[in-house]
Amino acid sequence: MSGTLGSAALLVTGAALLSAAAALLATRSALTSLTVLLDMLLAASLLRLVLDPTPVQLAGTALVVVVKRLASAGLRRAAASRTRASS
Amino acid sequence: MTELVSEDFLKSAVELLVRLVESAGAVVIFVGALIAFVRFLDAAVRHRHEPHRFVAVRLGLGRYLALGLEFQLASDVLRTAVAPTLREIGELAAVAAIRTALNYFLGKEIKEEQEQLAAERTDPSSSTPRP
Repeated sequence: MSGTLGSAALLVTGAALLSAAAALLATRSALTSLTVLLDMLLAASLLRLVLDPTPVQLAGTALVVVVKRLASAGLRRAAASRTRASS
Repeated sequence: MTELVSEDFLKSAVELLVRLVESAGAVVIFVGALIAFVRFLDAAVRHRHEPHRFVAVRLGLGRYLALGLEFQLASDVLRTAVAPTLREIGELAAVAAIRTALNYFLGKEIKEEQEQLAAERTDPSSSTPRP
């Protein structure tokens, strides 16, 4: 079962990269693309957490969540300050 | 009673239930990710330059992930029924705590995104501009 889960997680990781690339091409928005990538990577990490996760796997998933929140907040602030500066 | 239901039988039954619940959680997460992937591609092809379409898909994916995490938490709770040593219970507690924290932050993020999406729908000029 762990082999199946590993393959599923790998498949979702590939889907994450493709989705992020598609989002970037369609919207030209780094924030949209990054949030799409991190959401899909979180799904892959959660799949890896099934069946007796190791502390490293747990820390990896927690790291994805932290990076997701920090990157989203940082990019939103940067966009807001750019808008303020241009107006 | 101990003759009717042996400890070994109880352990195997709980182990089976844990595997079933964990598998259900994995299926929910995997199906959610696949649906989101298809919807992301659809949004990219048919609704270009409309970032809010991606936010809606992400909200759907977030709900699937939260549900999958709930299943994983349920399996952690089931495991405590047959965790014999203090060390094993401690490890389970650590895993459950991290999963609960993940679920909490996921729920918070879903709420924030919902509010943002609602604000964009009512007044498109009020949304935070994207880079």
